[in-house]
Amino acid sequence: MQSQFKDKKVIATLVLPGIIIMLIAIAAPIIISLGLSFVKWTGFGKMKPIGFDNYLRIAKDPIFWKSISNVFILIFVTVFFQNTIAFILAMYLSNIGKKLSNIFRTIYFIPATLSLVVVTKLWVNIFNPSYGLLNKILAQIGLESLQHAWLGNTSTALGSVIWIIIWQGFGWALLFYYSGIVTVPDELREAAKVDGANKFTLYTRIIIPYIMPVIQAIIIIDVTSSLKQMEMIYLSTAGGPGDTTQFLALYLYQRAFKYSEYGYGNAISVIFVILAFTLTILIRKTFAKRLESL
Amino acid sequence: MKKLLLFLCIMLSLTSAFAQGSSEKNADETIVLKMGDNVPDRKNGLGLVIETINTEFEQTYPNVTITTESYNDQPWQEKVRIYATANQLPDVFRYWSFSTLLTPLVEAGMIEELDYEVYSQYEFLPGALEGNMIDGKLYGIPTSSDLWVIYYNKSLFEKAGVEIPTSWDDIMESADAFNDMGIIPMVTDGKDGWPLCELFDNMAQRINGDFTYVAKAQEREMKYTDESFVKTADYIQELVKAGVFQENLTTSDYGDARNAFGQERAAMYMMGSWEMGLANDTNFSENFKENLDVMPFPVVEGGKGKATDTLGWYGGNIVISSNSKIKDVANNYVEKIASDFGQKCWDLQAAFPPVKVQPLETDTHVAKQLLSIAANATTMSGTPGLDRLDNVFKEDHQELMRQLCSLIIDSEEFTTKLDASAQRAYDER
Repeated sequence: MQSQFKDKKVIATLVLPGIIIMLIAIAAPIIISLGLSFVKWTGFGKMKPIGFDNYLRIAKDPIFWKSISNVFILIFVTVFFQNTIAFILAMYLSNIGKKLSNIFRTIYFIPATLSLVVVTKLWVNIFNPSYGLLNKILAQIGLESLQHAWLGNTSTALGSVIWIIIWQGFGWALLFYYSGIVTVPDELREAAKVDGANKFTLYTRIIIPYIMPVIQAIIIIDVTSSLKQMEMIYLSTAGGPGDTTQFLALYLYQRAFKYSEYGYGNAISVIFVILAFTLTILIRKTFAKRLESL
Repeated sequence: MKKLLLFLCIMLSLTSAFAQGSSEKNADETIVLKMGDNVPDRKNGLGLVIETINTEFEQTYPNVTITTESYNDQPWQEKVRIYATANQLPDVFRYWSFSTLLTPLVEAGMIEELDYEVYSQYEFLPGALEGNMIDGKLYGIPTSSDLWVIYYNKSLFEKAGVEIPTSWDDIMESADAFNDMGIIPMVTDGKDGWPLCELFDNMAQRINGDFTYVAKAQEREMKYTDESFVKTADYIQELVKAGVFQENLTTSDYGDARNAFGQERAAMYMMGSWEMGLANDTNFSENFKENLDVMPFPVVEGGKGKATDTLGWYGGNIVISSNSKIKDVANNYVEKIASDFGQKCWDLQAAFPPVKVQPLETDTHVAKQLLSIAANATTMSGTPGLDRLDNVFKEDHQELMRQLCSLIIDSEEFTTKLDASAQRAYDER
């Protein structure tokens, strides 16, 4: 059996179906997208080759740049705020005993188990300016001045949709960090304590470096999910008011399927793929250097 | 290796067997007619009319089964585009905006031509079929006559101590009285944008007194930067600032707006005559239905337009996909729609049909009022502005209206950008 797995023909036979599926499912659509990004096309009928016009248009499209900046704001918030809070909470949950920890982890994970449509509709109703729970609570506690059309106002719309995204995604981050922290061997903690490490040193010198692969995985997930953020925005604000909550994935969808500008939509998707690849490679390289130095 | 090949052959045969099972004609010759539309509620109004017709059609043709697929306007519009790209349009489907949405499908050869001689025998109102013709060929039949009106709830006016308005200035002045009582003065679907475009066209006419200004701007005989359009945009922003509409206007969709009105949280609902079914909607209270009324789009004080000048058009076109394998059945079905849809619509008071109908003693008050608005119309606009140029202009117009109503851009920026989009669409013809 062992020798069969060393046979190159056997390896090729086993790997080939996977590679073919990958080529059909991933490489082919990217290549088709690249081809379509050089044409003007409504999705049906005749295509008109226009060279790099779609890319030149992207460079001057303020909504495209707004959607990119919103993606980076979301990445920043999820990576630095959501992860910090999730890590601190995971730290406490790993120290409060199994029973209590189970209860709290279940509670925090409930939003992640709910359907995205349900979560979005729930928050759209909570944020509703006329009958929404949030404005009602503010009125009850005498803070009428803070009442808002949370999703309809340009100053609060982006913050509100980011809140919904974080509310649903928080459970996953917590679960990852908790799982990472509890896998740190007791011997390592004991050894650190014997060497005189206090709690702060224990976490910064032992636990965080130990769970660095977990942090890397979470950050890659955060970045990619921020890039492909679409459904929640589509269901809540559709990118509005104006382009306040426009995100890259939704924008390319709207250009292709609402405006019937398939060529332009595909050009945006090519930039999307390049951005996703670049960010993922950057994160992996950054972490690889860090892991090597440990 | 031989075993592997044998396994693959078996799998392929099984797959093709299953694939054949899902085609239109089964072994027992049952024909599946696929239809799609933008009417997801199948128990009230238009949805109920379509379901009734489908049941009758299946009874007349026992070997035909109709499968329906329905979504709200915007998702259905996007679904049709995806189906068109994949060349998988349903046999028969309901679509709208002939010039912006259907014409590209016709030009791509995806819509089957209908026999004008056959369909002109049915009692369509003058111009109803002609709006579905390209180069003298008929491609669809309309299912509604659409009038842009304002529904209102009399009891909420009484509650707020407000008189029924005759002008937009009255509406603006009464906004505080409603808002102080926790009642939204007026709701509409701002998230999808198109109702705001109808508001713009209608308001422009109330100010300049001429529906043809929009057509002239699109034919480049005048510009959208004309003073009357700038005034219109300013006036709409004044309405928003006065609190006439729901606070989350541009993120509130069709369902939100309709429910806010039906659940008596809003005093007025700006929408088309296809919403006359509100008077029978089982989802809403008897109190709401008893107090439901409708008025023409009000005038603007000092404006040139009259309340009897009506923004109206024929819509909800039924078409046949040229890719359909069962065109005869599809044609029979569309003929059934042409012959029965109008009167059935009126009998159920579901929508304002594009055919001559007999008024009934049982007509709801709203239906009678709409008949009166149509009968008293001094001028009729025809196809709204957003549906006359190409799809990019349509989306630009909607987006610019959302930005105008969110107070993100002012009237000058709005009209300049709208004019640029009209110019681009005109140049690309």
